[in-house]
Amino acid sequence: MIQILTGVDNSAAALTAEQTRLDVISENIANANTTHGVDGKPYQRRVVVFESALQQAISSDGSVQMSPVQVARVQKDDSPPIQVYDPGNPDADSNGMVSTPNININEEMADMISASRSYEANLAVIKNARTMAMETLSIGKH
Amino acid sequence: MSPIPVITPAAAGMTPFGGMMTPEATPLPNTGIQMPEELAQPTATGSVQPTSDSFASMLGQFVSDVNAQQNISAQAVSALQSGQSVPLHQAVISMEEANVSFQLMVEVRNRLLDAYQEIMRMQI
Repeated sequence: MIQILTGVDNSAAALTAEQTRLDVISENIANANTTHGVDGKPYQRRVVVFESALQQAISSDGSVQMSPVQVARVQKDDSPPIQVYDPGNPDADSNGMVSTPNININEEMADMISASRSYEANLAVIKNARTMAMETLSIGKH
Repeated sequence: MSPIPVITPAAAGMTPFGGMMTPEATPLPNTGIQMPEELAQPTATGSVQPTSDSFASMLGQFVSDVNAQQNISAQAVSALQSGQSVPLHQAVISMEEANVSFQLMVEVRNRLLDAYQEIMRMQI
């Protein structure tokens, strides 16, 4: 199989990773007020951990090592839940305190902008690679 | 994007270019270079039988590679449309790869046709 847009594989992996990051941020924002999660405890913030996967790229003259990014795991943020005084809430304890998720919306919005910008940066790489290939094909055109 | 049909080199009119690679019919002097039997002896029609490494078969391989790219991209798009968990960017990137390799094939064809027409215009 001919390989035309080679470096794009790295960018595609990064796009997948950033997409996962955005999915997790959306989960966090959606559950910002979930006081009663699946396990009965308030929802815990999720954090995406990226890792670089070593991938051997096959080439004729020695091997070029590429390390695309991938999602290692999605882990829970173990910081304590935020205590809010809300005696009317069914999940309130005897003191009227409710444990709400350890999610700061501002932080999530900042993360979302970061993920969005990273996605755009990788899209720009792909666009550039395509432009370079098409420009190369137009060598000698008259 | 519909997959392009597989074009055999003969159907695409590639045989004249295959013929361009024909070595001279006169026997080579003893230079020590051994020509493969089928290349050194052109057939009566003047065309070369496609061998594993002939230019025509290389071109045919290239065309089928491009076709495979087109098929991959069509599969990715139809998988995306049928609701499978294919990332959007993967479908678009495979479409782009198919597009660029198709453009490359068109460029190769244009150069070959230019060369062929140049030869046909030659005054003898």
